[in-house]
Amino acid sequence: MAASYAREALPRPRRDILPASLLQWITWLLVVTLVLGPFLPLLYASLRDRPLYEAGGAFTTEPYRELLRDHAFWHAWWNTIQFAVYTTAMAVVLGAAVAILCARTDLAGRRTFSKLVLLPLLLPSLGMVLGWIAVWGEGGYLTSFFAQRLHFTTPAIDTIRGMSVVEATRLMPVAFLTCQAALVRADSALEDAARSAGASPLRVLRSITIPMLRPALLNAATLIFTLSIAVLGIPLLLGVPNNIQFVSSYLYTLWTNASSPDPGTVSAGAMMLLVVATLLLLLRNRLLGAEARFVSVGGKASHTAMLSLGRWRWPLSGAITFYLLFTTLLPVLGLALMSFVVFLTPLIAPWDLLTWDHWKMLDDGIFRNSIRNSVIIAVVGAVLATAFVTLATLVAHRSTYPLRRTLPFVMLYPRATPGIIIGIGFFWAYLLTGALGDWFRNSIWGIMLAFCIRNLPLAYIVMYPTLARIGEELDRAGRAAGAGWWTTSRRIVLPLLRPAMFAAFILLFVELLNDYDPAVFLVKPGTEVMGATMLSQFIQGAIGPVAALAMVQVAITVVVLAVGSRVFKINTTGGNDA
Amino acid sequence: MPEIAVAGLVKTFGDQRALDHVDFKVNDGELFTLLGPSGCGKSTTLMSIAGFQHPEEGRIAVGEETIFDAQKRIAVPAERRNLGIVFQSYAVWPHMTVHENLAFPLKVRRLKRGEIRSRIAETLELVEMTPYEKRYPHQLSGGQQQRVALARALVYSPSILLLDEPFSNLDAKLRVRARSWVKELQTKLGLTTIFVTHDQDEALSMSDRIAVMSAGEIQQIGNPEDVYRRPSNRFVAEFVGRVNLIEGVVAGVERDGVLLQVDGSNHRLTVPAAGGAQVSDRLTVVVRPEAVTLVSAGDSSVNTTNTWDASIHAAAFLGDHYEYELEAGSVQLVVQTSRAVEGPRIKVHIPRDACSVVE
Repeated sequence: MAASYAREALPRPRRDILPASLLQWITWLLVVTLVLGPFLPLLYASLRDRPLYEAGGAFTTEPYRELLRDHAFWHAWWNTIQFAVYTTAMAVVLGAAVAILCARTDLAGRRTFSKLVLLPLLLPSLGMVLGWIAVWGEGGYLTSFFAQRLHFTTPAIDTIRGMSVVEATRLMPVAFLTCQAALVRADSALEDAARSAGASPLRVLRSITIPMLRPALLNAATLIFTLSIAVLGIPLLLGVPNNIQFVSSYLYTLWTNASSPDPGTVSAGAMMLLVVATLLLLLRNRLLGAEARFVSVGGKASHTAMLSLGRWRWPLSGAITFYLLFTTLLPVLGLALMSFVVFLTPLIAPWDLLTWDHWKMLDDGIFRNSIRNSVIIAVVGAVLATAFVTLATLVAHRSTYPLRRTLPFVMLYPRATPGIIIGIGFFWAYLLTGALGDWFRNSIWGIMLAFCIRNLPLAYIVMYPTLARIGEELDRAGRAAGAGWWTTSRRIVLPLLRPAMFAAFILLFVELLNDYDPAVFLVKPGTEVMGATMLSQFIQGAIGPVAALAMVQVAITVVVLAVGSRVFKINTTGGNDA
Repeated sequence: MPEIAVAGLVKTFGDQRALDHVDFKVNDGELFTLLGPSGCGKSTTLMSIAGFQHPEEGRIAVGEETIFDAQKRIAVPAERRNLGIVFQSYAVWPHMTVHENLAFPLKVRRLKRGEIRSRIAETLELVEMTPYEKRYPHQLSGGQQQRVALARALVYSPSILLLDEPFSNLDAKLRVRARSWVKELQTKLGLTTIFVTHDQDEALSMSDRIAVMSAGEIQQIGNPEDVYRRPSNRFVAEFVGRVNLIEGVVAGVERDGVLLQVDGSNHRLTVPAAGGAQVSDRLTVVVRPEAVTLVSAGDSSVNTTNTWDASIHAAAFLGDHYEYELEAGSVQLVVQTSRAVEGPRIKVHIPRDACSVVE
């Protein structure tokens, strides 16, 4: 029997059709072109004295100087920064508190809460703003109810602080996820040791748990700050009617409302916003590097000893329930109600005002188009983006491709980039790339591409932790067995990565369905998507149908998330930078 | 089966030199072991042979074929080196059954279905895993997974076999059994094998030859007895088994030996001649604990050469032997005996032939 092993040599293993290095180069070029490509035309457009679609033109820095001279622009920055600071402070404190309660105490219902608190991040953000307006806005359902029946004035949400409350409730899950990941990673034996050394639970919290969370808090704060300076829906729907401009809404207004469009100035403003966001991203990368020092050398993932809350167990649980009720459930219900009544008021019983008209309007014209386009974009885009990010993640972490280390940074870059900048960037990019650009510009695929690039980081963040857990020896064994890079990836790594790919698909689907700000610069008649339509129709006063459209978004989102998390448990704790 | 020639491998990670001119040759059908502490470069060497690391300098040839040459920029991709490798984690693909794991390398080589089936059956029989063909890895024990990993590495008749600490995830009892089983299989197949381990017992019991590595360099290459009995330097002596190191100055050179004045005491030790040692040279002498004999203090029948008075400092019973820590003047000695001795005063005799001089 032994003889057969020495006897004959087997045929040489077959080679992959496409050489691995070629495939890796193509992937890298695509990632870099698609992510960084749109910014070059943006820079170019900001330095020309006339729009790129007009012939001629010369180099100028006038757009920048014009912006810097504009008092309103500076004022918008000041508003934006105040808003971002308030938002960050609230979201981080709240997120960290809930994360500690869920991960380290015996809070009643902590498992359910750690899922539910994520909802605001996943629900359509524009729809949620509308829901807030319906319930808590000036003349909102509960605002009027409290004022008239209880003579109690609820805080206004169309001020800078009010808007930051709305935004903080949306971004709180970011802080929650970051802190939760840090807490799960940290060995709870560190806390047990402090208990054994004689510290009370509160003392442990103050002296061990919270200091160890410091890097996670800083990381979350930077990310939330970056995300909140770029938000467009809140200032447009809440701020502008109250004469409060943010940088994003300022640029949007400049683009859409100006009598003579001034793309150079808008591009210059976008460039400035991009520089700020990029600096914040670089700062955050430094902070993440510092975080490694705080990674406790993990022992076994043994049971996590819970701090006992004692008699606070239920009251704190109640507080979180109230929080979720007031910030998430009521706005959704308000939105639903708004879509079914002629107008929303607590003075008349809603059943006297019932109407199907808003929903009937969804069946034609721009609304019908938007729903169809959004669903197509979400399905096709999520499939393509998942496949693309999977390939790029494999090149980044499972290949010997020389430039692989640049990929994670490039893939995470759109995370820091405000959606409107991506929108303007792609607008110019399509304009400058001839027939191909025209094709993108005149079809929904142009919007899909911009949405996909914007959400690449999300897919990467979901994918990478799972890939890191798949031992590298598994693919080495495949290579040693005679399979090339692609065959090894396809037959060995991808099947093991399938759960993460599925999770990425679900999350991408939801994000692509609900995304709107890159689209506001790209939509044309026929290529409308839900978010952009909601924004434009709301500004024109079509509140009822917009509420119905938002409900469609919410419904699809909730169903897809529910089905998705049932088919496979979506792991939200894996990533350290949610 | 071809031989393996590794010449002048140099590999640096940052400013750390992982491999510093590593040279060795593995003979046809030999089981060759790379032994050393973690970070000594043994795994880097193995991964360079497998094609997962690319050294900056050096050459690797298997038989007639050069698979790596830094100067000529030859680096055959890992998948075209046709070698079998068993990883520390076994790396049995968790989403495939045992059968599918073994079939993968054969499918990649486009074998016909019938041949695939017969080869798998043959190989599974070889590793005594036939009844488990349909199982998934998570349904197997650690030892069984290891057999599957080995079968997968053998099923496509690789030209050489590489074993990367394959026993370190097994429990102590199983490890000893697996050792002799793997050695038996390797001898039966006559497969040229490179085995990486940090465990000296594994190295000594399985290898035809051992290369002891430290800090990216090979310290000594020899058969197990050579490495154990005649270590070429302090590192090898201390890494392979327990050891007493006695340092001193040469007090006299005789025809067939050297008289050593032991440091910090008036003890003298006669040791075999070390190549060209001169009077007043410093020497280090290595003595294995089990080579030293103990005699009760009153016994005067022993040879007085190399016999010193000593006192027992600590004693331990280790099941199959006793271990004593002794002090003879300022010299500290560890001694293993099969029988207990009475203390605390004792005589210790160091046979001349048990002493070997190291650099």
